[in-house]
Amino acid sequence: MPLKMPLPDQRVLARRDEIIAALRRIVPGEGVIERPDELRPYESDGLTAYRQPPMVVVLPETVEQVAAVLSYCHKHGVKVVPRGSGTSVSGGALPLADAVLLGMGKFNKVLEIDYEDRLAVVQPGVTNLAITNAVEGEGFYYAPDPSSQIACSIGGNVAENSGGVHCLKYGLTTNNVLGVQFVTIDGEVLRIGGKALDAPGLDLLGIIVGSEGLLGVVTEVTVRILPKPETARALLAGFPTVESAGQCVADTIAAGIIPAGMEMMDKPAIHAAEAFVNVGYPLDVEALLIVELDGPAAECNHLLEEVQAIANRNGAVTLRASQDEAERLAFWAGRKAAFPAVGRISADYLCMDGTIPRGQLPKVLRRMNELAAQYSLDVANMFHAGDGNLHPLILYDASKPGELERAEEFGADILRLCVEVGGVLTGEHGVGVEKRDLMPVMFSEVDLRQQQRLKCAFDPDSLLNPGKVFPTLHRCAELGRMHVHRGRLPFPELPRF
Amino acid sequence: MVLYNPQNAKDVCDIISGALAGGGKLEIIGGGTRTDFGAPNRETDRLSLKSLSGIIDYNPSELVLTARAGTPLTELNEAVSARGQGFAFEPWGAFMSTIGGVIAAGVSGPRRISAGAVRDHLLGFEAVSGRGESFRGGAKVVKNVTGYDLPKLLCGSWGRLAALTEVTLKVLPRPPERLTLLWRGLADELGFALMRKAMRQPVDVAAAAHLPGQATLIRLDGFGPSVASRRAHLNAVLTKYGAPEAMDEAEAAPLWATCQGGGALPSGPPLWRLSLPPRRALASIAPLLAMGGDYVADWAGGLIWLSLAGHEEVIRQRAAHVGGHATLARAPAELRERLPALHPQPPAIEALYRRIRRAFDPLGVFETNRFLDETNAD
Amino acid sequence: MQTDFSSAQLANPQMAASEAVIRKCVHCGFCIATCPTYALLGDELDSPRGRIYLIKDMLENERTPGPDVVKHIDRCLSCLSCMTTCPSGVNYMHLVDHARAYIEQRYRRPWSERILRAAVAAILPRPPRFRAALRLARIIQPLAPLLQGVKLLRPAATMLKLAPPRLPPQAVIAIVNAPSTRGRVVLMQGCVEPVLRPEIRAASLRLLKRCGYQVSFVPGEECCGALTHHMGKETKALQSARRNIDVWMREIEAGLEAIIITASGCGTTVKDYGFILRNDPLYAAKAAQVSALAKDITEVLEASGLPPRADIPALTVAYHSACSLQHGQKITAAPQNLLRAGGFTVRQPVDSHLCCGSAGTYNIFQPEISAQLGTRKAETLSQFAPDVIATGNIGCAVQIGQHTGVPVVHTVELLDWATGGPPPAALVAKLPHVPA
Repeated sequence: MPLKMPLPDQRVLARRDEIIAALRRIVPGEGVIERPDELRPYESDGLTAYRQPPMVVVLPETVEQVAAVLSYCHKHGVKVVPRGSGTSVSGGALPLADAVLLGMGKFNKVLEIDYEDRLAVVQPGVTNLAITNAVEGEGFYYAPDPSSQIACSIGGNVAENSGGVHCLKYGLTTNNVLGVQFVTIDGEVLRIGGKALDAPGLDLLGIIVGSEGLLGVVTEVTVRILPKPETARALLAGFPTVESAGQCVADTIAAGIIPAGMEMMDKPAIHAAEAFVNVGYPLDVEALLIVELDGPAAECNHLLEEVQAIANRNGAVTLRASQDEAERLAFWAGRKAAFPAVGRISADYLCMDGTIPRGQLPKVLRRMNELAAQYSLDVANMFHAGDGNLHPLILYDASKPGELERAEEFGADILRLCVEVGGVLTGEHGVGVEKRDLMPVMFSEVDLRQQQRLKCAFDPDSLLNPGKVFPTLHRCAELGRMHVHRGRLPFPELPRF
Repeated sequence: MVLYNPQNAKDVCDIISGALAGGGKLEIIGGGTRTDFGAPNRETDRLSLKSLSGIIDYNPSELVLTARAGTPLTELNEAVSARGQGFAFEPWGAFMSTIGGVIAAGVSGPRRISAGAVRDHLLGFEAVSGRGESFRGGAKVVKNVTGYDLPKLLCGSWGRLAALTEVTLKVLPRPPERLTLLWRGLADELGFALMRKAMRQPVDVAAAAHLPGQATLIRLDGFGPSVASRRAHLNAVLTKYGAPEAMDEAEAAPLWATCQGGGALPSGPPLWRLSLPPRRALASIAPLLAMGGDYVADWAGGLIWLSLAGHEEVIRQRAAHVGGHATLARAPAELRERLPALHPQPPAIEALYRRIRRAFDPLGVFETNRFLDETNAD
Repeated sequence: MQTDFSSAQLANPQMAASEAVIRKCVHCGFCIATCPTYALLGDELDSPRGRIYLIKDMLENERTPGPDVVKHIDRCLSCLSCMTTCPSGVNYMHLVDHARAYIEQRYRRPWSERILRAAVAAILPRPPRFRAALRLARIIQPLAPLLQGVKLLRPAATMLKLAPPRLPPQAVIAIVNAPSTRGRVVLMQGCVEPVLRPEIRAASLRLLKRCGYQVSFVPGEECCGALTHHMGKETKALQSARRNIDVWMREIEAGLEAIIITASGCGTTVKDYGFILRNDPLYAAKAAQVSALAKDITEVLEASGLPPRADIPALTVAYHSACSLQHGQKITAAPQNLLRAGGFTVRQPVDSHLCCGSAGTYNIFQPEISAQLGTRKAETLSQFAPDVIATGNIGCAVQIGQHTGVPVVHTVELLDWATGGPPPAALVAKLPHVPA
C-alpha cells in the first residue's frame, strides 16, 4: 500500500521472541497473540484499504497489566498502538509491523451508575450503546450517538471525540465526558477529572479527548448521562434544490431553534436508501431534510409547527411530520441504513468526513459534482446539516485497477475544498492515517510543530501510535531547540523536548 | 515594570521575542480585572491585550463569532444580543473584562450545567506562544476533531501557555423566555435536595442555585409553551417543597448575579471557589459552615463560593476528599503570598502540567510566580 | 471486503458461495457487538468479523488450519445473532458451515477430541442409542466429580451433568385423527427432544388437533442433520437430509400443508435444506420444496389462531427467544403474541439477543463458555421472578434448566394448557397453585 508509515525498528523485530515472552509474563493465558494467522484479523480496523499485521497483540484485563505493558514498552523502545472495537474509519487502530497492538476489548464492564449526579463510570471497551442500555431502565441515556454506536467502544469515542446525529444539540464526546483514568507511556496511572464539574488546573481531559491514542491509554471513563426527553418528533421535508434546503436550515437556526438533529441527503443518497429500506422517501427531490425535535410534548409540537412553516416558506415540495414513534423511527431508518444501502449499489465506497460552514453547502456540492465528472466516479452525500459536517460517499470498485487510487484522490480534493471554504478536514471520524497527509492543508508548519510539542509532554519517544495524525515525526529534541541566554538554561532539571 | 500595549498580533510577537532575548518575564492582562488572583507583588512587565479589540467576523446563522482577544465582554454581549443570540456559558466579569480574559480565567456562569462551560464554546483561536511564534488551534466551525483540541487547553490556562490574540466562539440563540422558580427560606438540606430532584427530571433545567437563608432557584429557559409545560412537570414533582414564586428574566437577574463570584458574600474573609460533586457538596462543606463560613451554591451544588477565614488546609482537604478542588479566589496579600491560588494536584499531574507549559513556553517567559508552582533556575 | 481467490478456486461452487459471502462483509464491526463469545472474551478472533477474516485466510490460501484457528471457529455458537445485526446481509451461517466442513476434512484433531465427537455424532441423533446412553449415565453419574478432575475425561463429566436424573418413559403415541378442517400436517419427531421431553410432542399433538389439523408422523424420519452439520461432518449431514427428504416427499405428494417442527434448532436446518443440497441435481428441487413447507409450530399457530381459552391461572412467563428461532428463522413476536393470547403475562429478559450457551452440542464441547452464558441467561430470565420460563427449543430448555430452579417448559406446552390441555408436568411439580 502506498501509505508511508514509520519504518519498523529492526532492533525491536530482532528481539521479538524476548518481547513476547516478557509480555506473556505480564498478561497470562490467551491474552498474548503471536501466530501470523491469528494476527491477521487485527491487521485493520474499519478502514480496510490499509492493512498491517502487528508484531504481537496484547489483550490486558486490568489497569495494572496495562501499566506494566506500557512501562515495559517504554523501557525497551517498543511502539504501542491502542485498539478499541476496531470500528474507526480513519485507520486509527492500524498496526505497525514492529508495534504491540494493545486491545482493550476485555475492559467491558459498567462499573458504577450514579443517577443522583447523573453519570456513569465504565471501562473503555463498553460500547456506546451499552451505556444507554445500562441506564435506560431509569429513564436515562448517553447522548452522543455515532452511527456505529452498537459496536464502537467508549474508549474509542474518547480517542476520536466522536459525534453523531444528536451532537448538534447535545455536543460531542468531549462535552459529555467528565473524567478518565489514564495510563501514560511510562506506566503512570493518572486520574483526571471525575465527578466534579471542572478541572483544577489545565484542562487535561480536554486535550486527551480527541487525541487519537497518541497521548496515553484510557482505562476508565466517566460520562454524563441525561434524563431521556419526554418525547421526540421528526419532520421529513423534500426540497427542489439543495439551496432551498440549506436556506431552510439557516432560517431554522436564525429563528432560534436548535433541533435535536438535522440531517440532509442528496438525490443519489435518497435513492440508495429508499431502495434498501423502502420507507417512502420522495424520489423526485434534490434534497431531503430530516429534522428531529425532542423534549416535552408541548415543546416538540410547537417547534415542529414552526419548522414546518419555515420549510414551507422555503419551497418544500413534500412535508411529513411523524405522528407516532413508529413513524419517527421509519423516517430515520433510511438515513441510518444509508451506508450499507450504498454498499449494496456499489462494490466499494469511501466515506469521507469534513466540516464546512453550513452556508457553503450549495457551492461545495456543485464543485463536488464537477470533481465527480472529472474523476468519473459517483458520489452520494449525507450531511449533518445542523453543524456542517459532510459525509460524501465516493462509490468505486476496488477490483478495477486504479479505481481506489482515483477515489482517494477525489476524497482528498473534497477535503481540500472543505478547508478552502473555511471548514476543517474532519468533523467526527478523526485524522488517523486517512487524512494525515492533508494536515498541512489546514495547519501551518508552526501550528503543527506546536501540536507536536504538546505530544512531547506526554510521549517524548513517540512510542504511542506513531504515523497517525501528523505527517512528519519530529524528534522532540529537535522541536525543543532553543537559544540559551547568557549561558544559563532555565529549569535545568526538566527534560528537554 | 513596563506596561506593553501592542496594537496587533505582530506587536505581540515582537514584545514576547524581546522579553525572551532580554531574559524577562511577561504577565498577560486583558482588562486587568483579575490581577489580584494568585500571589501578590508580581513585579514583572505586563503585556496588555486591550488594544487588540473588535469583532472580526460574526455569522449568526453559522453560530460562530470571531473577535480579537482584547474585545470587552460587554461589547460582544451587545453585538450578539442584537441578533437574538448569546454566549450560552454565561460569562461574567467586571466592566473592563475582555473575552480573552474570560477564556484564560475559565469563567462560566449558572447556565454551565445545561449549556456547558467556556471550554465547550471556544472553537478556535490564534495566539502567540512563549517562543514568540503566532500559531492557531482549533477552527471556525462548530464540529471539528482535526488535531489536538488546543482550545480546551487554553481555557483556564491563566495566560501561562500563550497570549491569545484572536478567538472564535460558538454562539447560540437566546432563549425567548427565562423563567425562574423560587422557593424562599428552605433549609440547606431541603434546598440541595430540591435541586437534585429537579436535575433528574426530563425538563432541561437551565440553572439551579441555592442562596442560603434567601432562596433556592431553578431556571427554565426556552420557548413559551415549552417553559410552561416543563414548569407544570416540576410543580407536580416538587410539591413537598411548597409552591414556588415565579420571576421573569429581569426580576430574577439580581439573584442570579449573586452566583457570579460569590457577589453577596461578606467581603472581609477570603473567598474560596469549590468545585464538588453536587451530591456530596453540602456534606462536604458542613464542617466549614460550622466554622463560620458563608456560602452560595451554584451549578445545582457543583460550585460553592465560600467565604471563610483560616482553615485553608481543611478547606482543601474537604474538597479533595470528595474528588473536587478548592481555588483561592480572593484573599489578603499575605495569604496569597504563601498559598497557591489553584489547588495543588498529585505530583504526577503537576509534573505533566509543567511539561505542557514548557511545550508552549520553554523558557518560562510567562512564569511570573503567580501560581507558586514553579522553581526558577535562579 | 476484497478477496483473493483464484479462478480455479472459484470454479468450486462451495468456494464461490463463500467468496460471495465474504465480499459482502465491509468490516464494519457491528456484529462483534451482539456476539456472545466477543462479549465474554473481548478478542477479535472470537467475534464474527474476526472469524470471517480467519476463514477467508484459510480458504483463500487453502491452508490447513492450525489448532488455534480451529479453536476460534469451534467457539462459534452459530447463534446467528451477527446475521440479525449485520447491515450488509452477510450470510455468516453458510460461511461458518463451509468452514466447519473444510476443517473436518483438512484438520486432524487430537484423538480424544475425535473420539468424543464421533461418539456424540453416533449416539445423539439416534433415539434408541441416546436412551441407552442416558440409562448408563444414570448409573455412573456419581462418578462425575472424579471425571471432572481428569482433563481428558472432562467432556464425559460435562455430559453426565447434562443427563437428566430420571429418564422419561418412552412415549408410545397412537394418532387417532378426527375429520380435520385445516388439512394435513407432518409433525417432525426429532431425535433428542422425544427422549428427554416427550411431553412436548404430546402437547403439540393435542394442540394441533384441537386447531383442526390432521397430524401425521412419518416413519423413516431421522435426525435433521443439524448435529452432524455443525460438527462439519458434511457427508453424514447430507445423508440425513436426503433420507428425510425422501420420506417427506411421499407425504408431500399425498397432500401436505406443512412440516411442523418444535425444536427451532432443527427448524433452521430443515429450512436450509434447499441451500445445503443446491448442488445435488437429484435433490435440489425436492430440498427446496421441503424447505418451503418447513414451519416452526408457532408460525402455524399464528396463522391459524388459537382455539378458545380455558380457565387457567394467569402466570408470568419469562420468554426465552431461542437463537435459532429469533436469528435463524427470524421469528420473534409470534410466540410471545400467542402466549399473551393464551392469557399469560409475557416478559423478555435484558440482552434477549444473547445465546443461552446450549447451541446444539456446544455445551458438551465448550463447557466453560457454555456455563458462563447459561448462568447469565438464567439470571436475566429470573430477574422479575417469573412463574415459568418458556422457550421454543429443546437445547435451550435443557441448558437453562441446569442453571435455574424456575420450571422451564416449551411454548406449546403452555399454549396446549391454555386451550384445554393438561398443565405441564414441570409446573405441577413446582407450583402449588397449579392443579394437576
